[in-house]
Amino acid sequence: MEIPNSVEKVLLDEETIAARVGELAAQISADYADNDGLILIGVLKGAFIFLADLARRLTVSHHVDFIALSSYNRGTANAGAVRLIMDTRTSVTGQHVLVVEDIVDTGCTLHYLLRTFHARKPASLRSCVLLSKPDRRQIEVQVDYLGFEIPNAWVVGYGLDYADRFRTLPYIGELRREAYE
Amino acid sequence: MGLRDDIAKVLIPESEVQKRVAELGQEINATYSDEDRLLLICVLKGAFVFLADLIRHLEVRHEVDFMEISSYGARTESSGVVRILLDLAQSIQGRHVLIVEDIIDSGRTLDYITRNLGTREPASLQACTLLSKPDRREIEVPVDFVGFEVPDEFVVGYGLDFAEEYRNLPFIGVLREDVVQTRIGE
Repeated sequence: MEIPNSVEKVLLDEETIAARVGELAAQISADYADNDGLILIGVLKGAFIFLADLARRLTVSHHVDFIALSSYNRGTANAGAVRLIMDTRTSVTGQHVLVVEDIVDTGCTLHYLLRTFHARKPASLRSCVLLSKPDRRQIEVQVDYLGFEIPNAWVVGYGLDYADRFRTLPYIGELRREAYE
Repeated sequence: MGLRDDIAKVLIPESEVQKRVAELGQEINATYSDEDRLLLICVLKGAFVFLADLIRHLEVRHEVDFMEISSYGARTESSGVVRILLDLAQSIQGRHVLIVEDIIDSGRTLDYITRNLGTREPASLQACTLLSKPDRREIEVPVDFVGFEVPDEFVVGYGLDFAEEYRNLPFIGVLREDVVQTRIGE
């Protein structure tokens, strides 16, 4: 598949991602082997590819659910405030909840999600994130399973978009500065 | 995996699913151009696994959006009444839209979605489904891209669930009758 002009370079290729997703799935399968009621909650839109690949590698029984979020006033000082657009279909009370996110950046979104689910009294609550940009963190947030730490660049592909573009590239690419500035 | 013991038979093995998904990707590439800025609309929850693989074969420019719907009741589509739990994040007026579904059964859900999206005046509106059960059809609904026609059996895997289980099986399998009966009785 051709690499679009707007993509400066491939940061993580397909094989590297697939191998790491397999490792995460093995770790999660081992950790939840004795637990009933694991529920993976994918955060739309970004996490759907990661979730589809991760879930297929799990050897433990689990359910899948989705939530959709929107941030208020994107790009302004209040950019961290999050609005829940679609909640999970099923109750998470008493369930082992694993929040599945594509990326943790400032940490605000994941922090909001973990607080929201914590209030619902799950049996346990953990997070699984494909990418983390530690340099961007504004708020301490718990990441239990992490795919890769990456530098502070605009990344696209494997669920991550720029204005809805490049989301479905099979690799993680770094966007050229000219493409978003 | 314990879940596999509940499968009476593998209807479509993983390799065949993957091969057909790649072919559907090529058909879609041949149908649309970059200028169309194709918008794929994934119907949750079932279609997300199919979509995650389908997009890997798309070379034509596209974007994705999601709808989550709920038919009142368990898995049956009999009433045809559908509740939209999550609507699209964007307007589709003037857009070339392709609905992505896991399975077309009675056709009522797709019929409802097609009519609903049709009122939003897209430039074009087509549908792609991994599986179709023609024997179950209660309403004529056009489907432009079909992965496989399957008999009227209880199929699970590759996104399709029974009581939320079996979605992550990488193949399409038929659930054992006693498992269906036991779980319905629960």
